[in-house]
Amino acid sequence: MLKKTLFGILLILTTPLLFAESLDKDDSAGAKLIRANCLGCHVPTDKGLSRISEQRKTPEGWEMTINRMRLMHGLKINKGDLAIKGSGLHEIVKYLADNQGLAPSETHGVRYLLEQDLNQIETQFDDEFTTMCARCHSGARVALQRRDAKEWNYLIDFHLGQFPSTEYSLFGRDRNWLDIARNKMVPLLAKKYPFTSEDWSAWVVAQKPELEGKWILSGHMPGKGFFSATMKVTQNKKDYYSLSIEGNYATGEAIKGAGSSVVYTGYDWRGNINFGDISLRQTLAASADGQTLTGRFYQKGQELVGMKITAIKDTANTNTRLLSVFPSHIKKGQTTTLTITGLGLNSASANSLSLPASIMVNKVISQSANRIVVNVTAKDNAPIGYVDIQIGGAILTKQLAIYKQVNALEVVPSYGVSRVGDNGGSTPKTNTLFRAVGFDYGKDGIANTADDINLGYIEAVTWAVVPRDEIAKKDKDVQFAGQMNSNTGLFSPAAAGPNPERYRSTNNAGNLNVVAKLNENDEISGIGRLLVTLQRWNNPPLK
Amino acid sequence: MKHLKAINSKAHKVNEALKNDDLDEVMAMQSPVGCTATTDPGWEVDMFGSVSGLCQPMEADLYGCSDPCWWPAQVPDMMNTYPDWSKNADSATKDWRNLESVYPEEKE
Repeated sequence: MLKKTLFGILLILTTPLLFAESLDKDDSAGAKLIRANCLGCHVPTDKGLSRISEQRKTPEGWEMTINRMRLMHGLKINKGDLAIKGSGLHEIVKYLADNQGLAPSETHGVRYLLEQDLNQIETQFDDEFTTMCARCHSGARVALQRRDAKEWNYLIDFHLGQFPSTEYSLFGRDRNWLDIARNKMVPLLAKKYPFTSEDWSAWVVAQKPELEGKWILSGHMPGKGFFSATMKVTQNKKDYYSLSIEGNYATGEAIKGAGSSVVYTGYDWRGNINFGDISLRQTLAASADGQTLTGRFYQKGQELVGMKITAIKDTANTNTRLLSVFPSHIKKGQTTTLTITGLGLNSASANSLSLPASIMVNKVISQSANRIVVNVTAKDNAPIGYVDIQIGGAILTKQLAIYKQVNALEVVPSYGVSRVGDNGGSTPKTNTLFRAVGFDYGKDGIANTADDINLGYIEAVTWAVVPRDEIAKKDKDVQFAGQMNSNTGLFSPAAAGPNPERYRSTNNAGNLNVVAKLNENDEISGIGRLLVTLQRWNNPPLK
Repeated sequence: MKHLKAINSKAHKVNEALKNDDLDEVMAMQSPVGCTATTDPGWEVDMFGSVSGLCQPMEADLYGCSDPCWWPAQVPDMMNTYPDWSKNADSATKDWRNLESVYPEEKE
């Protein structure tokens, strides 16, 4: 214990020196650009450069800071426009995120903001923090920064100087905002999100994961369904990769594409990849051992349309390992085709695909190292509940369920936002995607008990939107706010701008409920909430 | 409040909510990430979780939002940061298409 504590203290004491030395002497393009362009305002200190060396942020956080320098202080890099590709912005962000970033653990619980997965309510922050620091922007935007008390105080100064309405808009004017900010929020933030931390100090000196190689992944592509694929990652230079992907959707349709990625801070992956004609962005985090990538892929320009992704690395000596199975449910008595994804699935030991006795294997349709496609039937008398899949020494636990009936559907996200756009304006429409998760109430047939079975995504549903209340009905929000794709759950909002066909020429906003009905029994339905609302003219990467 | 009389539907809604003692609860509701919870009257969502209490249409009072920096995370604040944002749109209701997104996108 004493040894661990001393190690932690040593790391914390040496960390500022690491920054100072690297910013002074580092010969990377980013460090050189900082020295050449930032010294006019930021003076050398014992930590490096004033302000710059006293904060830690994500790549997106640094990008926003540098863009703020451009917008508010007229910063140009080597006299060029920051917004033009090749301006040097990327190199500066890369240097700062690598050297003054966040440790993997420091992003836990708030990666949804980096992943642009915005259709959710932040419930993890306490009420006072939310009211003081997260009523204009997300709480995660704060939680993805690290500063000491002095720097958090500067951030308050900045807010009041730049955005004085902070004090007199709602929930600012009803309290002594500045006093609470200085005396309660700053100590809280400095303690919760400190500049120096053991986790960061340890990450600075840790061996970073090797990411080149072959990765196996699966997910649920909006509008297309489940897929399984192999992504080949080739390193061009340190932290920069070329990507190629091949795979199949459950329908059999082939996936082929290419892309590229950059890894920041040794683990934080940002990429672009095409699945055929679908352009996707990637935000992933590598595990410390370099064996897993987790995060989200989302459509370029439509960030709310995306999917959670887990990828596992295929190495030469990988033992059999299971990643996923889809679909994730079989009805009693039903015949279906399962796709099992993993590693080493064609090795000698893997030939022993083991399913529970209640599932009969009719035919192994195909078997490769990374995928087994098998036609199966769940027996009429199969007990309902989760079952395990075993191949060789690998077990996939509770990812496949046998069920009797779908008793309920849950719409996810439970509260989605879509924004009007286009129509000649500068802001595009923001689509939003809903999915339905099925539940069998289990043997007791009662909702919300321990034996409820989560069946995963149910694709055979029909989607619609309805007015959420009487006002929405009277204002004909359903008619004006946009279109729901009845098959895919993708809502596309209507055009921006005043609409003369509406009362007071109001915008095409709408207060709606989203309804998913089970195709085989439309008495089973799930309801979610959809707010169709106004565009944002300010769209930084961290909202 | 007892000396003030509600004359439009929005004001009636506030009165009803106060009578029913459910305004605090509604106010405490959180908005999805990316939406402001400063609901006076709200940019994306009003204090009742709806859109009917927002400015209608938004463009009719847009500069009443941007001039005093009311929702700077959503609407460019013309008080300090983007004083010239409306230079090509004298009337937001008519010229809203000339209003640019302010966060720079990387250009080739």
